Amino acid sequence: MADALIKDADLLLQVSDLTVSFNGTEVIAGVNLTVDRGELLAIIGRSGSGKTTLLRAINRLNECFDGASTFGRIQIHLDGQWHSVYGPNALPLTVLRRRVGMVFQNPNVLPTSIERNFRLPLQLAAGLSGAQIRQRMEEALGQAQLWGEVKDRLHHPATTLSGGQQMRLCLARALALEPQILLLDEPTSSVDHVAATRIEALLHDLKARYTMILVSHSLGQTRRLADRLAVMKQGCLAGCLERGQLDDDGIFKELINDIF
Amino acid sequence: MATAAAVAILGVFLLWRGARTLSLGLLFGDAPILAAITGRVPVWEGIWPACVGSLCLAALASALAIPLGLASGIYLTRFAPARLKKSLVLGIDLLAGIPSIVMGLFGFTLILLLRRTFWPEATTCLLLAAVCLGLLVLPYIISTTRNVFESLPATLHLTATALGLTPWQAVAHVLLPAAVPGLIGGVLLAVSRAVEDTAVIMLTGVVANAGLPAGLTGKFEALPFAIYYLAAEHQSPAELDRGFGAALVLLALTWALFQGARYCQRLLMRRWPMR
Repeated sequence: MADALIKDADLLLQVSDLTVSFNGTEVIAGVNLTVDRGELLAIIGRSGSGKTTLLRAINRLNECFDGASTFGRIQIHLDGQWHSVYGPNALPLTVLRRRVGMVFQNPNVLPTSIERNFRLPLQLAAGLSGAQIRQRMEEALGQAQLWGEVKDRLHHPATTLSGGQQMRLCLARALALEPQILLLDEPTSSVDHVAATRIEALLHDLKARYTMILVSHSLGQTRRLADRLAVMKQGCLAGCLERGQLDDDGIFKELINDIF
Repeated sequence: MATAAAVAILGVFLLWRGARTLSLGLLFGDAPILAAITGRVPVWEGIWPACVGSLCLAALASALAIPLGLASGIYLTRFAPARLKKSLVLGIDLLAGIPSIVMGLFGFTLILLLRRTFWPEATTCLLLAAVCLGLLVLPYIISTTRNVFESLPATLHLTATALGLTPWQAVAHVLLPAAVPGLIGGVLLAVSRAVEDTAVIMLTGVVANAGLPAGLTGKFEALPFAIYYLAAEHQSPAELDRGFGAALVLLALTWALFQGARYCQRLLMRRWPMR
């Protein structure tokens, strides 16, 4: 849906007055947020501040839970056009979820083979077949630096991979659907330090190619990766820091004290 | 331990009483075997027609109850609105509480109703018995399906949804394959229950000497009824022993069913190695 108010050519996502409640309890209230094309926006905040709910509002995953209700507006710029995420003219759910990829906090591989983890979404959601699926899978696994490790065991159960590998598999699976935005929900919180460092380096590489919204539990990681930082506090957006401010120790410390 | 002991005692007792009757004669009586199997010669003294009748009954009842039960269970866990779900679950619980003799009476009354209204020739038959047996085991299949689907990890559904699968695709391609190992056990119990039930079929079309089932609207024989008949009406100890023999055959049939299901499960797991 075209909107006269949105003029900025770099804008990819606009969240206006977003309120999400579960069974009448507001989890996020009146959030306004924009994301530029190619930007990595990090979101930090204490647990329970609504970070995950905000992410899940963007791909409408909150609706999988009982009693969720969402108010406000989210718009996304896809294929040269603005589309509403909610409302009567909203983008079809399956299209939205294909174009807005998500990586969960815990590696959520499907309990089946590595190859089938790709084939299911590529075949069912993206409507691809045989050779195209293979090609997308190879590319995505390559981007996630996992191809070398799994190319000889594509038919093994995905659950036999290590935690870090499973996380990269989930990232690759999201990339294979060629998303416009990647939503990353604490992608390094459930793996060990070495795997986390590796995933962080990977995200640093992918930054150049994808627009990402990263919910992070690690301030250091946020500082290293983010182009912009949004701070959530009790369901509201408490403030935003630009890249320049992130590098400034004084401002950063003040922010930390403010949040925690 | 107690269960194992009870089963062992029962098994030994059955074997002791029934084993010596186990022979082709038990199945076919005096009839020539090949001709009896194909139905060209009627079997008078054997339980072969009852075996075939029971298998047909189980197959028909399963064909009716399993798809309906799976679909209902999945609908209840994944798609039904909360309010509707409550009343449907109550209905299913009530259905599960109906004794099998009442289900038989229901079938019998249904035929009476049909005869007095638009189908005067309607009579108790294989199809009616299968429908009633299907209804009898339907709530078990629904409950099993619900339990298995509700115990699947929530992230499975969330993952499928986040990858852009429609709710139906998520069920058919992710949740159902993950549920199959759990479902097989419950469904098998329901089918075994249908195979061994006597009360329902007694009122819906089983007879002692129907021969092989002639069709959906024909009378039929069945193993549990054959056992009951042999035990209740026996003229000599040898005939009673044949009743025990028939019980052993029924046990073997159920056991074969379980093995068949295990084989299917392995086949499925190989095609779709969930877990």
